[in-house]
Amino acid sequence: MNLYTPELVEIKDIIDETPDIRTFRLQFKDPERMKNFAFKAGQFAEYSVFGEGECTFCIASSPTRPEFLECSFKFAGKVTNAMTKLNVGDTMGLRGPYGNSFPIEQMKGKNVVFIAGGIGLAPVRCIIWNVLDLRDQFKDITIIYGARTVGDLVYKNELEDWKKMAGVKTVVTVDPGGETPDWKGEVGFVPTIVEKVAPASKDTVAIICGPPIMIKYTFPVLEKLGFEEDNVITTLENRMKCGLGKCGRCNIGSVYVCKDGPVFSYKELKALPQEY
Amino acid sequence: MNELKQICKDVLTEKKARLIIGYSEDKNKRVKPFIARTPEDAEKLVFNHHAVNNLAVYISRFKNNFEGKIGIVVKGCDLKAVTALIQESQVKREDLYIIGVNCSGVVRDIDQEFSKDNSQIKCKYCQTKTPPYFDAIAEESKEFELTDDDQQELMAKIEKMSAEERLDFWNEQFEKCIKCYACRQVCPMCYCEQCIAEKSEPQWIDSSATARGNFAWNTIRAFHMAGRCIGCHECERACPMDIPLTLLTRKMGMVASSEFGYRPGMSIDEPTLIGSYSTSDKEDFIK
Amino acid sequence: MEELIISTENFKKIVQELLDKEFKVIGIPEGENKYQEITDGNKLSLHPEAAPTNSSFKGYFFPKSEPIFFYKQNHSSVDLFDPIEDKKGIVVIGAKPCDASALPIISKVFNWDYKDDLFNKRYDSSLIIGMSCHYKDDYCFCVSTKGSPENTKGSDVFLTSLENNYFKVAAITPKGNSFIKEYAKYFEKDGKKYKPVERKEAIPEHFNYEKVKTWLDNNFENEFWDTAGEMCLGCAQCAFVCPTCHCFDIVDEQCSSCEGRRAKNWDACQFSLFTKHASGHNPRDNQEKRYRQRISHKFKYYKDKFDEILCTGCGRCARGCPVSLDILQVVEDINALAEKS
Repeated sequence: MNLYTPELVEIKDIIDETPDIRTFRLQFKDPERMKNFAFKAGQFAEYSVFGEGECTFCIASSPTRPEFLECSFKFAGKVTNAMTKLNVGDTMGLRGPYGNSFPIEQMKGKNVVFIAGGIGLAPVRCIIWNVLDLRDQFKDITIIYGARTVGDLVYKNELEDWKKMAGVKTVVTVDPGGETPDWKGEVGFVPTIVEKVAPASKDTVAIICGPPIMIKYTFPVLEKLGFEEDNVITTLENRMKCGLGKCGRCNIGSVYVCKDGPVFSYKELKALPQEY
Repeated sequence: MNELKQICKDVLTEKKARLIIGYSEDKNKRVKPFIARTPEDAEKLVFNHHAVNNLAVYISRFKNNFEGKIGIVVKGCDLKAVTALIQESQVKREDLYIIGVNCSGVVRDIDQEFSKDNSQIKCKYCQTKTPPYFDAIAEESKEFELTDDDQQELMAKIEKMSAEERLDFWNEQFEKCIKCYACRQVCPMCYCEQCIAEKSEPQWIDSSATARGNFAWNTIRAFHMAGRCIGCHECERACPMDIPLTLLTRKMGMVASSEFGYRPGMSIDEPTLIGSYSTSDKEDFIK
Repeated sequence: MEELIISTENFKKIVQELLDKEFKVIGIPEGENKYQEITDGNKLSLHPEAAPTNSSFKGYFFPKSEPIFFYKQNHSSVDLFDPIEDKKGIVVIGAKPCDASALPIISKVFNWDYKDDLFNKRYDSSLIIGMSCHYKDDYCFCVSTKGSPENTKGSDVFLTSLENNYFKVAAITPKGNSFIKEYAKYFEKDGKKYKPVERKEAIPEHFNYEKVKTWLDNNFENEFWDTAGEMCLGCAQCAFVCPTCHCFDIVDEQCSSCEGRRAKNWDACQFSLFTKHASGHNPRDNQEKRYRQRISHKFKYYKDKFDEILCTGCGRCARGCPVSLDILQVVEDINALAEKS
């Protein structure tokens, strides 16, 4: 065994989120390992489909809910397409947890705004549940999530759960043209809806993840609302291979996304060469 | 040389081309590809026995970048690549400003002076000392003795080998391969936007530099050169592991010529071998 | 510490003993100029005046393709097997300083928090016998990268050329010391017996590294990058012959319908697909950006991260580049720009 050898996990459940996004619920084949596997919200793992390769996904489940390790993936390339052919009971590999994590200690005692788009909700979901499971350690919670169409929304059941929670403001939106006749949520691009919701910026940490273009247009909105650059946190999805700071693929300047990230503050991102 | 510089200066001044892909000499006297964009740049253009590179490889890279013609300095062998690219619809004749140079051979060992012994294998059997067509021509013609083509001897030796011996020979050569793809990147005819080696669904060719991966890559590339390779020998020159790639590509070229009477890069209007069908095509290999 | 010297003849006898003890001896055979496994001590050459080899010897520590594990699928489960370890210790003989000094440089990234045991098992049990270099051409620039033709960094034992085909021998590390003690009978203690061979020409300093680094720190968007790498064809020759380039890929390969291996392969930032996301987005979508990455990684980013210049000035990349793209000239151009501003 060496540092690149994965541990074996079994697929316990498969949930179809959208026509091209699926969630796997995994457990280590070794029950002891399942018990002692510790990770923090924001960390990721390398998931193997033996014979096809490895893929990098964040661990989408919260460390406060250790029964399953969850990952959500979009059917995009060789490994993810191979994953669509896997069934409950099949074996995969997992290496991790890698990377840094969301600064949950920095968030305690503050308001938290979660902003996500499309499959970008997956890396944010882990910290959402982590925060909700420790609810009294945080003040106001706002969740703003959007996807292209109603069908493209992920974690649809959980969105409903969050909407029903007291003390949590949940706003779901779809892009203009993506609504269905019976759609009761917002219609508009995520940056526009963020501007509309106008979450208070004082003593607030914003966590944001989504397609590059969504992030690009949301940062200025948050700036206008008065968010400090240190308090706007995102997670980068760069092409990664080894996941542990050696292969050089995910480098942005002197930073290794897999080791110095993937969680970065807006301030840290601005200091990087704009090449991601 | 002055003639070439003047021609290029005029081309750029009169905006007959937006840029000229040519050769320049660096401060170590090494001749390398260079892009001249202004008449001042044209002062740096050179041509001599060290102008080995086949510049046609840059046509595919620059053709979509702007309006206007691409100027290119070509030797006779390089022009065959340009012709082959036109034959394969990769560039239009009218989008190029071809500046031919009469060439009497280029070096093999770039650190030594040019001589009969220090010349490329392709120079030894060159039939195109003067490029057959062009928009402008530079350099006076120089005499060059065609000498023995020692590669033919090695090819004959390999042909006499049994299939097993040949397999051993090539396995030994391909074992050296490090999958740097210099052979592919330097070849003007390798212009696929996604090379077969880069396809991952399915992965036709192992990317690993193992016996299996190397054999697959090198033989498939040779097959993709059949009827298309114009024999510039850049692949072998670029290979850092000294694999005799031109043995394969030259063999493919000989088969295309002997079996189908076709040689690529001879005429811009000629239909390509693989890209055309004729009722008189041989079928005796179909068993 | 007494000065020890050894004749080339006696050194070859040490090599023969190493071979008898089943060490993997890597050196340059007589008549060739590439690092190879030596099987006959007599065939080893020790020529300080020879040019650097075409490729570095990093492949013996970090192979061009090596298995991480083998797997066998059965029904819905999988068994994993470790690759068979080559237990032979590696001894590299006659490493030029520009090659030997590369190993401690790349060891830093291979041991950053996570330890790459595939590399370490080979490196930790190796012995590097470096040799002072008497070569110079227009592509050498070891001095500018804080090295030199007599640099002992990365060597356990260091040989300095003396007249009469003798070498002065110095132990640089404890490993080197043990080696000298073990083969003590082959060394002579007469340190002053032969004069050192003088180097014909010194390697000059071609650029001021600090100025280059400062320029790189501040000029990510400079128009210099529009043309610096425009002739680059995007092969990986430079990265693969380089002693310090270490980027790699991880791939799965089937050997049969249910068996296969996962391999670690050399990769290069110059390839167009290196940073391409599955979504199609590519942060470095043209060769100019990729070339900027190469120079920046070597002369800035690795220094920022690991306090080492990721280049030893061996010049291999420039000698071998199919389009003669010369890294030294690029960095000299940067130096000139730095001095202007």
